[in-house]
Amino acid sequence: MENFLEQMAELFEVDSVNLQDEVIAFDEWDSLTGLSIISLADDEYGIIISVNDILEAKTIQGLYELFNQKK
Amino acid sequence: MDLKFSNKKITGILTILPEREVSFEDEMHNYNFSNAKSLKLKSALGLNKRRIVEEGVCSSDLCIRGLAYLFETNKLQKEDIDAIILVTQSPDYIMPPTSNVIQGYFGLKHDMICLDINQGCAGYIVGLNQAFMMLDQEAINKVVLLNADVLSPKVSKKDRNSNPLIGDAAAITIIEKSTQETEVFCNIKMNGKGALVLQIPAGGSRLPSSPETAILYEDASGNFRSKDNLVMKGDEVFNFVQVEVPPLIESLLIKASVKKEDVDYYMFHQPNRFMLHKVADKIGVDRDKMPSNVVENFGNSSGVTIPVAITYNLGSKLIDEKFKICLSGFGVGLTWASMLLEIGPLDFCEIIEY
Repeated sequence: MENFLEQMAELFEVDSVNLQDEVIAFDEWDSLTGLSIISLADDEYGIIISVNDILEAKTIQGLYELFNQKK
Repeated sequence: MDLKFSNKKITGILTILPEREVSFEDEMHNYNFSNAKSLKLKSALGLNKRRIVEEGVCSSDLCIRGLAYLFETNKLQKEDIDAIILVTQSPDYIMPPTSNVIQGYFGLKHDMICLDINQGCAGYIVGLNQAFMMLDQEAINKVVLLNADVLSPKVSKKDRNSNPLIGDAAAITIIEKSTQETEVFCNIKMNGKGALVLQIPAGGSRLPSSPETAILYEDASGNFRSKDNLVMKGDEVFNFVQVEVPPLIESLLIKASVKKEDVDYYMFHQPNRFMLHKVADKIGVDRDKMPSNVVENFGNSSGVTIPVAITYNLGSKLIDEKFKICLSGFGVGLTWASMLLEIGPLDFCEIIEY
């Protein structure tokens, strides 16, 4: 979990993220960040997700569940 | 589907690039994003310069320029051509076939086949396949494969997803029977369920172009495009490539009994540097063996990027040497295909400008 939060903070270019933070509320959220999340999911979690999956996950908590449920 | 061909070879490759070059920064102001974000996109995907045609230049113009050059320099004799295959998504007309227009322009012999094929990113492999099949005929000894895509006029200038990537280009590949024993391994797959993942919605019979189809609208990511414009679902294309291409290459090499490290070059379709690096890592081949420098120098010209990659990265080396090369194209269709063959020494392997 800690590792995941660090990865998210790096992708969104912030010092730290909270589980309830909304994905689209980050300044850095755009389709390129979306692609980076998709790429991370594939590389490190071995799962295939779409931009829609990310939007439906809504929050950092949602992303964490997404990454760990599709396995 | 696995395919195999014997005793046929490529004898020359010529790329034709438009002279006009635009840089990423020249067009950045068109995008609905901060400069900082646009520059982040530039460095992440590997974008820089691209080549696009002047207004009014069509696919046939680029092909005719290339063929005229080959005739003038005696690299190709008119009477030797038994077939012209043109793979394009930007034909001059809905009817007739553009390959017939090109045949007529040069007044070539009537005893030949002209064939247009509508294919995109996998178009080089699809075209080579068709050429090899034709060469199984006794009457056909030399096939001219033309790949041409002029898609820049179809892309919205306000679409950050596609505009900074797209380039225009054409290529001419000569394929002949070989007196030496050669083997070409190929596999090709298609999934029409994903047919609309990469598309131009309007302009065909389903939705003819009209004033309404020219209206720009904003998508969820802040890009503006109309129904007349090319649109792609970037994330779906990315996932499709990462999931389907590595196993495709693996099974091709197994069929051919060739180890991946024994392949000299992996000349793949060039969507962008980011995706190619991911594909190389996933297949487990050295990034140096899979050139990914076409988009940053010339743009993604869809079905033409493989010959652009070969002529740009190997060029005159292929006049003297022979390499074992794995080709792969993937995208529009959805179509994904790969081919393993030896290329070289060639009669010509170069780039000219239009």
